[in-house]
Amino acid sequence: MTWQRETFKKIKQIPREEHVLPGTALCAGCGGLEALRLAAKVLGGDVVYVNAAGCFTMLAAYPFTPFKGSWLYTTMGSAPAGAQGVRDALDVLIAKGRLPKEEDLKVVVLGGDGSTYDIALSSTSGAITRKLDFYYFCYDNEAYGNTGMQLSPATPYGARTTTSPCSLQHPAGTTQEKKDIFEIWRAHKPPYIATVAPRYPLDLEEKFARASKFTGPKLFLALSACPTGWLYDPGETPEVAKLAVETGLWPLKEAIDGQVTHTYIPKRKPVEEYLKLQGRFRHLFEPIRQDEAIRHIQARVDDYWKQVNG
Amino acid sequence: MRAVRFHGRGGQGAKTASRILGTAAFLEGFVAQDSPIYGAERRGAPVAAFTRIAKDPIRERGVIVHPDLVVIADASLVQDPAARVLDGIDERTAVFVNTSLTAEQCQAQTSLPGRLTTLDLTDIALQQFGKRGAISALLGAVAGRLAGLHRESMSGAIARELADLGLAVPVIEHNQTIALQCYDAVRTVPLETGAAQPAASAQLQVPSYEPPTRGTARISAAANSILRETGGWRTFRPVLVPDKCNGCWLCFAYCPDGVISMTKDDRPVIDYAHCKGCQICVHECPTEALVAEREQEGAVAWKAK
Repeated sequence: MTWQRETFKKIKQIPREEHVLPGTALCAGCGGLEALRLAAKVLGGDVVYVNAAGCFTMLAAYPFTPFKGSWLYTTMGSAPAGAQGVRDALDVLIAKGRLPKEEDLKVVVLGGDGSTYDIALSSTSGAITRKLDFYYFCYDNEAYGNTGMQLSPATPYGARTTTSPCSLQHPAGTTQEKKDIFEIWRAHKPPYIATVAPRYPLDLEEKFARASKFTGPKLFLALSACPTGWLYDPGETPEVAKLAVETGLWPLKEAIDGQVTHTYIPKRKPVEEYLKLQGRFRHLFEPIRQDEAIRHIQARVDDYWKQVNG
Repeated sequence: MRAVRFHGRGGQGAKTASRILGTAAFLEGFVAQDSPIYGAERRGAPVAAFTRIAKDPIRERGVIVHPDLVVIADASLVQDPAARVLDGIDERTAVFVNTSLTAEQCQAQTSLPGRLTTLDLTDIALQQFGKRGAISALLGAVAGRLAGLHRESMSGAIARELADLGLAVPVIEHNQTIALQCYDAVRTVPLETGAAQPAASAQLQVPSYEPPTRGTARISAAANSILRETGGWRTFRPVLVPDKCNGCWLCFAYCPDGVISMTKDDRPVIDYAHCKGCQICVHECPTEALVAEREQEGAVAWKAK
């Protein structure tokens, strides 16, 4: 059975109203901002953002904010705990009759992959276990980007970061595999999890619309192609995101109460096409082509889709 | 001591240029120190880097407040107060600006103090490499010439630093050739390493406890980021060719900053006060109705593939 979009069928259904205004200090061509802007169009204006330290710190760099509503800044590890506090405060105000129920706000955590996969993993786990009614938006650029691209658990095999450079011992750069945070989240059985990529805006909008029907943790993993850290021209952000999906490296999927559905089945181009676009993988092709590493990356993707297709 | 300060936009290569200069000085037997400013080193945002060169060990640290030479990688930075290009520049400072203007025109337009020299490195890079990209080797070579370093050490430093970035040998060699052409082409200005400025007296500020209501930076305004105009980040601007637009909304959908809005009859309107010039819209436009123009000259610089 193929997945059907119900709300967002045409590109001209994307809401015109902007909820993340221009003037932020994020990089030109930021894939994370691209995803957040689209998500916010569905989330609307009645939102409290709880922002873990990361690139998105630059969203509301004092004294400017791009949001019409509230934004709370936390340490890298404590955004879900901050969200719990905000949610509780809203609930108390509603219970006391000091806030009309129809003026309730959505609580949305913004965290990078450093927070999500690493530093805030335990507080996220706690929040999901407590069935906290919140959204989690992870902008995944596969490294600690705001501090200058250091290795994170989201960094994929073969990428070069400042702390996993290619060396004689490790010519492919990063030797670890990207942590499968989707499955870690799924093990908690939250009502809704989805992966999105801003190059597929209708898929993204649809998933945020679907998530709004659930009470409890609603978790999103957004591919955030990063011109600064992945080393490609900022204009190519959508192209990089597209190839991540079309090669099968970034599966678009959702999980409702743990039940996984792939929302887009790519024809699966060779991973090389994706890798070649980015400077962080350049060492796999020059000066000496590292066939073994490229084969390894391809094999991981093949295995993944073999399981999906049964 | 020679104190050189680089100003650029994130992605232009000002940081690498400062490294190239430092390495070149080191190869010539000088003591050298180079460092970028730590902060929002973002694509398009103003960044700065510093190189100190001396015969004796360098005790000074931190940002260069009174530079002997300032290298400006993008002319638009001069007008950007956030970039603080003018800090500590006086009549004796040598200033290089990457612009198509002559030194005289540039001086008249920007009223920069100091001894100006210019060269259009962006144009040279576009001609030679066929795409926009980092001009670190070119900036480094020009800075080396103005700082009085030799051709050979510049060439060696470029090879070292670009190899460290993982660039392929043919790319490095091409960079070396073009950079040395810039080294030869730039008009030199006398560099005065004159009297060192007295350092400001040190002040120790003892932190005190403030409750969160006072000690936390609170923004009470809503949606005021539009007051900060990021349009100055651009080195290229997307321009609409109205006849070619088919009204597909893709530019609107993909713009990360939300600076493209659609009119009632489905035509994009670009907010140039905030567009950072990433050129995603130019790349994604299916009908080539958006083209990139260089900020200063207004001539079409390149088209998406």
